[in-house]
Amino acid sequence: MLNIKNLGIKKDGTNILKNLDFRAGKSEFHVIMGPNGSGKSTLARTLAGHPEYVNYEGSIEYKNREISNLTPDERLKNGLMMGFQHPPRIKGVGIKGFLSKVLDKVDGDKTEDEKEEIMTSLTREFGFSEALLDRSINDGLSGGERKRLELLQARLVEPDLLILDEPDSGVDVDSLELMSNQITQIHNRGATVILITHYGNLLKRLDLEEVRVHLARAGKIVTSGDKDLARAVEKKGFNQIFEECGCN
Amino acid sequence: MVVINTISTESPRDSITRQIEKISAENDEPDWVTDLRYKGLKEFNSAPGSDPIISDPLEFLSDQDETPADGIESLEDLPEKTRNLLDELGINEMEQRAIAGLTIQDGTGMIDSSFREKWEKKGVVMAPMNEALKRYPQARERFMKLYDPGASKLAAYHTAVWNGGVFLWVKEGVKEEIPLHLFFLIQEEALAQAPHIVILAEPDSQIKLIEGCTSPILSKHSLHLDMTEAYIGEGAKVDLTVLQNWPEYVHTRPTQRVKVAKDAQFSITSVGLGPGKSNITDPQYWVEEGGRVDVESIILAKEDSHVDLGGTIHLEGPGSTGINDSRAVIMDDSEVITRGKVKAKGSRTKGHISCDALVLDDGASMETYPGLSSRVEDAELSHEASIGEIKKEELFYLMSRGLTEEEATQLIVQGFVEPAIEDLPEEYLSEIRKILDLAVKGEA
Repeated sequence: MLNIKNLGIKKDGTNILKNLDFRAGKSEFHVIMGPNGSGKSTLARTLAGHPEYVNYEGSIEYKNREISNLTPDERLKNGLMMGFQHPPRIKGVGIKGFLSKVLDKVDGDKTEDEKEEIMTSLTREFGFSEALLDRSINDGLSGGERKRLELLQARLVEPDLLILDEPDSGVDVDSLELMSNQITQIHNRGATVILITHYGNLLKRLDLEEVRVHLARAGKIVTSGDKDLARAVEKKGFNQIFEECGCN
Repeated sequence: MVVINTISTESPRDSITRQIEKISAENDEPDWVTDLRYKGLKEFNSAPGSDPIISDPLEFLSDQDETPADGIESLEDLPEKTRNLLDELGINEMEQRAIAGLTIQDGTGMIDSSFREKWEKKGVVMAPMNEALKRYPQARERFMKLYDPGASKLAAYHTAVWNGGVFLWVKEGVKEEIPLHLFFLIQEEALAQAPHIVILAEPDSQIKLIEGCTSPILSKHSLHLDMTEAYIGEGAKVDLTVLQNWPEYVHTRPTQRVKVAKDAQFSITSVGLGPGKSNITDPQYWVEEGGRVDVESIILAKEDSHVDLGGTIHLEGPGSTGINDSRAVIMDDSEVITRGKVKAKGSRTKGHISCDALVLDDGASMETYPGLSSRVEDAELSHEASIGEIKKEELFYLMSRGLTEEEATQLIVQGFVEPAIEDLPEEYLSEIRKILDLAVKGEA
């Protein structure tokens, strides 16, 4: 599904990512953890095609094809979706019209009624009132609500590869439950998921048999393991783990 | 493309005199009307030429006669080019849907006289300006009273050669919910495009007006000078929406003078989707006790157009309110300047000026100069302005959800304009959105 080799990205002369290798197969679940500034978000934004990160060293193959020259919308149409850490507010652009356009992109054959039905039922499922659809994108939404709206869109899009950039930051306990259920659902439908997170909160709630956990430090993946690695991070903190694995 | 036909052999005085003679003969107008024209001519030579682009309006006229199209009784009879223009303004669509209250003025006459009769029964009189000056003392008393012909060359010129336009009179206490659509199709005969409009809303009347303005592609009409004088009576409420879509070579100089009486309200929303080559305007509003004026301008500037929006709200009476909001989308090499002013003279007055601009291209520019002045201690005056470009993160976000860069830009531009247009009738909204989309695409 995804094969990243020797990825390097510089910004203002500094390496944000360096010699990063990462692989994810079909329907796998990966978690990337790491302290602030370890390059996790840059990786997510690079995969989604942010214009600042299209000139990179190394290679990113998605579905056996180098994606450097694909625009963000082309990537989405190929099934690659990234949920934002900080979804921007876009004034005046109504959520309903926007979601309807997104639905057209992933399945142009749906009638207005079918789209309406999908949007309303998902709105309810994600714990929003129907008034949500009349608002502008992310306007007047709390941090947690914005993250829920990101996941709602993931349900609309049904991507093959879903990268979630800290979907749990700023989210209250009740929402965490809802989100972990939704992420599990998306994964159970066959999507490959890459979950980027600081904490094990969300991970603990995920009902998953097999998870690959990776730790990022200074722009590269320094060690990988299973759920136990995430537990160890929770317990000891990143620094001690990095020391123990000689990753410093 | 700018088409300028220069008259070289004739003095300005002779040229204007000839135009006055022609217009007054054609209109068979009363002597006092013609005398006013000559007053304009007298002022023309000495009036200051303050317009930065048009130093001499005569340069924009040709002396060729253009034959008016004969026998136009419905939209079907119009030339195809004209119909296409109407399409752009959503007029055809509206007529097809048989929306009540659409009238079209073609030159000096009005298409569809049954329409006039219908409204007249309700207490809303509309008549071509020439006719109104002969028939209604209410029109005569208010014609050309709110401005000084010697104020500028263009004002003097308008006074001399105005032609066409309407008198709209809403009688006392008449409240009409259905918007009246007035569409000015300026396509013929007038040597200058200089319609004159007088609106009289008597006390406690209410009306919503939607005014569309365009002209077909006629090279000689490259200067458009219209003037509106409006008298809003005590407790009356007038909502005016003006839609303009000019070809890219037309220079437009609309003038507005509005008197708002005690507790009356006047709101004007002007949507300039095609401001032409240049659009310069400096409307004046005088507001009495407890009255209110709302000026909202939406501008889409593209190619190399130059838009300069002035406008002064004079808060004369105590407790009066004046709001001036503008919202501009500025593209290509166009330039937009806004200089709204609020002058507080009465006590407890409130004024606010806001200006928001979205600048889409490197060559596009925006300047804003809000002006607030107060002669009283307790006026509340404020202004705010924001000039920005499309945020890259917003673009990236929408694209990451499958929208192309163009679609994402269209959505953001629409979103920027939306709050200013949301109260307009649905038929116009869909047209406005379409025109914005085409502009972003580079096709409008």
